[in-house]
Amino acid sequence: MKAYELIMETLLRKTFIRVIHMAWLGTYAAIFLIPWPPELWNWGAFLFGWSGCLLPLLLSAGIFGDDIASGRISLLVTKPIRPGHLYLYRWLGLSLQGAVHLSVAGALIFGLHRFTGRGNTEHLAIWLLASWLVFNTWVALSTSLSVVVKREHNAMLLVLGAGIVALALSLLVGFFPESGGTKVFEGFVRWACPPVELLVELARTEQSLWESLGDVGHSAMLTVFYGVLGIILLGRREYKRTGD
Amino acid sequence: MDCASNTMTPLIECRKVTKTYRSVWTGRSQAVCALRDVSLEVGTGTIVGLIGPNGAGKTTFLSLISGLIHPSEGHIRVGGHPARSVQARRLLAYVPESPVFLARYSARAVLRYHAALHGLSRREIGAETERLLQQVKLEEYARRTVGGFSQGMRQRLALAVALINKPKLLLLDEPSNGLDPIGVIELRRVLTELGQSGATVVVSSHRLGELEKMTSDYIFLDKGRIVRFGEETASEQGRCLRVECLPGEVAITEELVTPHRLLETSETRIRIAVHGIEDVPEVVRRVVEAGTRITSVALETEDMEQAFVRLCQERAS
Repeated sequence: MKAYELIMETLLRKTFIRVIHMAWLGTYAAIFLIPWPPELWNWGAFLFGWSGCLLPLLLSAGIFGDDIASGRISLLVTKPIRPGHLYLYRWLGLSLQGAVHLSVAGALIFGLHRFTGRGNTEHLAIWLLASWLVFNTWVALSTSLSVVVKREHNAMLLVLGAGIVALALSLLVGFFPESGGTKVFEGFVRWACPPVELLVELARTEQSLWESLGDVGHSAMLTVFYGVLGIILLGRREYKRTGD
Repeated sequence: MDCASNTMTPLIECRKVTKTYRSVWTGRSQAVCALRDVSLEVGTGTIVGLIGPNGAGKTTFLSLISGLIHPSEGHIRVGGHPARSVQARRLLAYVPESPVFLARYSARAVLRYHAALHGLSRREIGAETERLLQQVKLEEYARRTVGGFSQGMRQRLALAVALINKPKLLLLDEPSNGLDPIGVIELRRVLTELGQSGATVVVSSHRLGELEKMTSDYIFLDKGRIVRFGEETASEQGRCLRVECLPGEVAITEELVTPHRLLETSETRIRIAVHGIEDVPEVVRRVVEAGTRITSVALETEDMEQAFVRLCQERAS
């Protein structure tokens, strides 16, 4: 019951969560009605970007930060529940939302593609797997950040951070391609940040089976790493209220 | 300091607890010491009132016991377990000053949610939810979303949440905020029943009259330090001799009533703190010898509000 309530809370805590799910699915359907999608457009890559990378940030916005800012956390962390369980079940709730969302979106896109013939759905199943893996990593990173950042700022910070990192990387690669610093930064982004590049390579099936399994393992390890960090922070931080 | 310890193992044990708030940015330069070197023990089955002026450290004290914050120095144990441990949390429940719930949840859903966090089974959750809704008189609002609740209704719900699984230690921060008179009476009844059932209640409130009606012991906090006073101390120090006299006839000084304390002198009234009725003849004799023409003498027991004011004045001086 403890797990069930904490998992369901991730869906029910705010009205906007269900609105976002519906808006995303509605957008996927609506895109088939407009004339823009070229025939070569890969729907899997589209899903990876929108549902794999952007959706988790919106769904996890303020997942702990809201509770900390409002003081609701004082009713939760004084219950006989380990911080690890509190974190884990909330992460699991978001991960399950991602799985259901991607399954519905995949079925919707596949059906509409068959009906209209627009775009292509090549390796859609692998794109969906890659999207769910990257979704889980973003969720873990965002949830852990939410433990130390108030309100919904975790999502905003990650969007800004990802934008700045991508811009910095493209500038470094463009202007100093052979610099040692560029190589180090490139390595950091590739291995320590959510594995967008590696999972895109996985979904494009450009790698061997072992390399693909390595990408899956790396993504899972990063998710665990971000999660453990969040659990440690949740267990150690203070929950202050101003008062007498 | 001991607070009415009824058992060998105290339920709350604080040893040299100090709490200093430091900002990450300003560090030591703007550190605020909210509690200083606090040591006390609270036994089971007592209802302890926590009082003190604004900024005295009451919320900090409750937050430390409930494990929401860490002490900067010293240690706190609840039922023999470290304050922040899961074992300690099994024993305690905390009601914050302004309880917050998910606005979209109904009162029943909130109780089910919190009962689930206690690890109760589905059947236990159902039974506990209905029992508590009845106990805090929220049955008719059980299906309404908490977002539309008044402050008083939220306080009732917070109390119900705290009573899940019958805690051994209940910490309440200003629980009567927003409660109507009937709600306050209900709260008093619930807390008294809890105390009688062997649970310990620590309640912080500015409503001293209310506290007086339900608490068996008091902790007075001022500037982060604890000055405990309970029933026994009140009977020793909390009596006051009120002497009414003719206008302009009051002629008395602090030295004249030593070792007793002169609390108040006005044109027609003198108030002197005494230990008991046995001190009255001697004090009256000294007042008469000083030339005061007495019209009436009354021995008053100091109520909590007067005691609070007296202690505040003593601390200030």
